[in-house]
Amino acid sequence: MFDHGQPSYEDVNKDVLASMLETGPRYWMLLGTTVSVAGICFFMPWFYQLFVGVGAAGMNRNAVWGTYLSNFIFWIGLSHSGTLLSAVLHITNSHWRKSIYRSAEAMTLFSLMTAAMFVMVHVGRVWFVHWSFPIPNQMGLWPNFRSPLMFDVMAITTYLTASSIFIYMGSVPDFAAVRDASTGIRRRLYTIFCFGWRGTAREWHTLGWAYTFFAVFVIPLAVSVHSIVSWDFALSIVPGLHHTIFAPYFVCGAIYSGTAGIVTVMYCLRKFLHFEKYIGQVHLDNLGKLLIALSLIWSYINILELFSSWYGGSSFELEALKFRLTGFYAPLYWEMILFCAFVPLLMLFKKFRLSWNKMLVISILINIGMLTERFIIVATSQPRKFLPDAFGFYLPSWVEISITVGSFGMFATLFLIFIKWVPAISIYEVKETLKPLRRDA
Amino acid sequence: MAVMGAFAYEEDFLAAAENLKSSGFENISLLSPLPLEEAQEVLGLGKSPVRRFSLAGAIIGAMSGFALAAGTALVFVLPTGGRAIITIPPYMVITYEMTILLGVLFTLLGFHIVSGLPAWHDAPYLPSASVDRFVVVVEGATGEQAVRAEAIIRQAGADEIKHVEVDQ
Repeated sequence: MFDHGQPSYEDVNKDVLASMLETGPRYWMLLGTTVSVAGICFFMPWFYQLFVGVGAAGMNRNAVWGTYLSNFIFWIGLSHSGTLLSAVLHITNSHWRKSIYRSAEAMTLFSLMTAAMFVMVHVGRVWFVHWSFPIPNQMGLWPNFRSPLMFDVMAITTYLTASSIFIYMGSVPDFAAVRDASTGIRRRLYTIFCFGWRGTAREWHTLGWAYTFFAVFVIPLAVSVHSIVSWDFALSIVPGLHHTIFAPYFVCGAIYSGTAGIVTVMYCLRKFLHFEKYIGQVHLDNLGKLLIALSLIWSYINILELFSSWYGGSSFELEALKFRLTGFYAPLYWEMILFCAFVPLLMLFKKFRLSWNKMLVISILINIGMLTERFIIVATSQPRKFLPDAFGFYLPSWVEISITVGSFGMFATLFLIFIKWVPAISIYEVKETLKPLRRDA
Repeated sequence: MAVMGAFAYEEDFLAAAENLKSSGFENISLLSPLPLEEAQEVLGLGKSPVRRFSLAGAIIGAMSGFALAAGTALVFVLPTGGRAIITIPPYMVITYEMTILLGVLFTLLGFHIVSGLPAWHDAPYLPSASVDRFVVVVEGATGEQAVRAEAIIRQAGADEIKHVEVDQ
C-alpha cells in the first residue's frame, strides 16, 4: 500500500500534524487567492443581485430555473464522493480507504454547504429562506410535505447533519493527537474538541460500534438525497425531465462526479501537503477502476434515457430530445458525452490509470462534463415545454457565470481552512494499515 | 493511586493486560494509539449497547417523521382535487429521512453515554499513547496490590512505569 516503504507510528503523527501545524507563505497566498475569488466572484455579484433583484440573472418567464439550480445539483452531486464512499468502504472493510477518506468526507461537507448557498442565491429574497423550513408561519400554516422541495430540505439537512457527525466522530482520536502535540490555546481547544479522549479500549470499542452505525445510516441516506434532488425535476410533467430513470441517473452521476472530485483533491493533497507516502498508486488504481465502472453505468443510463424518450413516441418528448441533441445547446451535450463517456475509457489503460497527472486531467474533464450535464438538464427542458408559444430561451448572465466561478473559490477556501484544523489524513486509521512492531523483528 | 506502564510492543502490552486480568485486577484501562480488538477481548467487551440507541433513534425518528408530515396536514386541512389529506407515498419520504436523522443523533448520544465522554477531568494518561506507546493503567491499586501490578507490568516488558495519584 505504501509506495515509499512503511512509515512508523511516530512518522504518521509527525507527517500529518506537520501539515496542520506548519504553515508556509504558499498556503497564505493560496488562501488569499481563494478568499478573493469567493469574495469578488461569488459574494459581490450576489449582493448586486440582492440589490437589483433576480432580474440580474438570465432567468425569464419560460425559464425560471437556471444556472443556480444546475450548480446546486452539481455541488450536491460532488458531495456524494466522501461520506457515501467512505461509509461503503468502511462497511466492506477496504483498507485502502483509510488514507483518503477524511479529505473525501470534508469534500462532502463543503460541497453541501456550497450547494446550500446556491439555494439561497436562487430564492432571491434570501431573508425569507426560513419559509422552506419545517416550521409554521404566523397563521399556523406549515409547509406542504407533499412537495419535492420539502423532501429536499429534509434530505439535505439530514445529510449535512449526518455527514458532519460522521467526519467529526472519526476525527476525535486525531484531535487527541493534536492536543498532545500542541501547547497553549490550541491545546485547550483540542482538549475540548476531543472530549478528553484517552484512547482506552472502551472508548475505541464504543467508537467502532457507533462509527459502523453512522456508516449504515449514511449509505441509504446518501442514495436518498440525490434521488430526492432528481424528483425536483422528475415529479414535474415537463418533457425531458419526467423520467422514472432520473433517480438512479442522478445517484450514479453524483457518485461519478464525486469520485472524480476525490482524485482531484488527492492530487492536491499529495502535491501540496506532501502526502506521497500515504496516498499512492494503490489509491489511484482503485479510484481509476471505480471511475471506469461508474462511467459505464452512467453511459448506459444515458442511452436508456434517449431510448425511452424515443420509444415512448410522445411528440413533446421527441421535440425535447431533438432540441437536446441538435438544438442550440447540442455542442454542450456532445461535450458532456465526450468527457463523461469516452475520455474515462482511457483509464482502461494502466498507463493512464497510474499516472497522477493524466488522472488529474481526466478527473477535471469528468467534472466539467458533469457540470455541463446538470446545466443541460435545466436549460434544455423547462424553456422548451409542450407548445411553441411556451418556448423560451435561457442564457446565463454574467452574474450567474461569476457566481458559478466564485463557488469554486468558496469551496477551496473552506477546504484550505479545514486542512489547518483537522488532520487531512486519519492518523489512527493509517496506523491500522501498518504492520505492528514486533520484538523479534 | 494508579500504576501505569508504557509498552513499545503491542504483544507485550497485551500479555501484561492478560496477566493483570488473570491475577485478579479488575480496574484496568488499556490505552492505545489505534483500536485493538485483542485489547477489547481481554476486557471482555462484547456487543456495545450503542446499537440499542441506534434502534431507538430510528424507531422514534420514523414515528416522529410521519407524525410531522401527517400532523401538520391535519392542523390546516387543505383538500386538493379530492385527494386524501394524509397521503402515504410522499410522507414516507419524510418518515425515511427522519428515521435516519434521529438514528444518527441517538447513536451520537449513545456514544457519549457509553464511552463516558466528554471526560475533561484528570485521568491517568501518557501523551505518547496517542503516538506509538501502548499503556496499561491499573487504577485503585494500593500498597501490596500496586507492587504486584508493577511487577507484572515490568515482567511483561514495559519501558516506562509510573505511579500517579488519581482524584476519585
